[in-house]
Amino acid sequence: MTYRRYMATLKIDDAELRSRRAFCELTDEDLALLRSLRPFAEKHTSEFVDKFYELLLSHEHTRKFFPDAGTIARVKKTQREYFLGLFDGRCDMNYVEDRLRVGTTHERIGLAPTWYLGAYRKYLDLLHTGLFAELPVKEASAAFSALERIVFFDVTLAIDTYIAANRETIGRHQAALRELSTPVIRVHDRILLLPLVGAIDSVRAQQIMDTVLLRIAEEKAKCIIIDIAGVPVVDTKVADSLVKTTAAVRLLGAQTILTGISAQVARTIVQLGVDISTMHTLARLQEGIELALDLVGKKIEEKRSASARGDAG
Amino acid sequence: MSIVVRSRREMPIETEDDVLVVRRAVRDLAVERGFDAFASAALTTAASELTRNVWVHARRGTAVLEDIADGDRVGVRIAFRDQGPGIPDLDRALAGGFSTARSMGLGLSGSRRLVDQFQIETVVGEGTKVEILKWKGL
Amino acid sequence: MTGVIPILRMGDVLLTTVHVELRDAVAEAFQSDVLLALEKRRARGLIIDISGLDMVDTYVARILAETGRMAMLMGTKTVLVGMRPEIAATLVRMGYEMRGVHTALDLDEGLELLQKLPAG
Repeated sequence: MTYRRYMATLKIDDAELRSRRAFCELTDEDLALLRSLRPFAEKHTSEFVDKFYELLLSHEHTRKFFPDAGTIARVKKTQREYFLGLFDGRCDMNYVEDRLRVGTTHERIGLAPTWYLGAYRKYLDLLHTGLFAELPVKEASAAFSALERIVFFDVTLAIDTYIAANRETIGRHQAALRELSTPVIRVHDRILLLPLVGAIDSVRAQQIMDTVLLRIAEEKAKCIIIDIAGVPVVDTKVADSLVKTTAAVRLLGAQTILTGISAQVARTIVQLGVDISTMHTLARLQEGIELALDLVGKKIEEKRSASARGDAG
Repeated sequence: MSIVVRSRREMPIETEDDVLVVRRAVRDLAVERGFDAFASAALTTAASELTRNVWVHARRGTAVLEDIADGDRVGVRIAFRDQGPGIPDLDRALAGGFSTARSMGLGLSGSRRLVDQFQIETVVGEGTKVEILKWKGL
Repeated sequence: MTGVIPILRMGDVLLTTVHVELRDAVAEAFQSDVLLALEKRRARGLIIDISGLDMVDTYVARILAETGRMAMLMGTKTVLVGMRPEIAATLVRMGYEMRGVHTALDLDEGLELLQKLPAG
């Protein structure tokens, strides 16, 4: 996910930005103070970044994300930019974009929030030592407070980035699952087949009806065979959903053939007390296919052999 | 649950045209919020039933449309209010209704099945309030 | 309000397309128009095309089913065609199954169905 999409997903606009800054108590004075510390920052950037990665490389859980000199050189460069960015004296939408870009880089290489956020502590540590070594106590204190505020502002963005990326992955998985969970197949001209496998909850039941109807309209199907042999539990809710789907399919001018109905399921459906006189139900899928063909005016016939036809040779 | 109301629109139900206007507003809002065709049809139909109920039985009322969010979820909430005759025997009406042409019929119980949340308060002789909520869905 | 929904005759079949929202006056006029047309000259079938409707609530469903029943009493079979998937889903979820009305995917299918249905 690009950082721009993150901006949209996280709904960070001016109002949200102001709100987060206010909550971190990050004032314009703080930003001005940080800007005035730019020379200090530039003096120490390389040293701090090196020590930062020393920590990451010394720890077994984080070492593996920086397998070679090339990777290390690249991330160090990004980190130097990040570090100096703390002293830009700005905290506007551009600043947020930059932060998100850095966050997505780390998320992309798979570095978990535990380590990435834990590393912020190292920065604060190094900055604390550096500031108090170079500045009078009162100024060092003020500077450190300002840095804490902006670092925490950054940390919240980093967390949001991880959450947004996670949600996107889950969304993709859900979309794939949805497609897999209602695999409608066109087996012949105007005949569709839906082999249902797995448990059906109310959400899936709804998706099944919607998908079935959409596909029937798309394919101008006259008939859909729904095989439920692979559904482990068919309780009254699932049975009701199947019956409703059958009714809806009829409203589209098509017919449903339910196959794979066990004795138990037959009992459940009948006990629903709905009118099943117009439902086509069969035990086996093969019978369902034969009935479907019949309904569209076709049938399966044996090929006659050449000798039976009386051909030469 | 921490529902945030992003926008709110109050609409009168005082003429037959208002029924159409409310219906269109609900559909437009659903489409704008990204509801798919099925969710949009469900919400619009439920709203149509409930708006018609106000028009037919109370002759006068309001529909308040709210565009809501709860964390990541996006949804639409609509409250229908009237000071009409109220619904006697609410349980029966909700169970699938009367079947005479002039009364509630399947509209009330049907609407309930189309939405995620359905609340109704009614006092005979004083009026009725129905509130529905539907989330956008996956 | 009469004539808002046009009714065409194709041989011994009446065709009509509901392309506007069925408000009370329009719906009533539609039903009268259909009955008048059938009175003037009987028809074997009535095809109501609802592919233009993006919402059918119980009111509209009732009007359509009633029209079908009225036509049936006059010896005419009614076929509803072009129902959109989301409308079929919504009606069924509400519990309104529109029994007693024939349905087909589109006009061609509707005509084909009328051929197949036993006369009378």
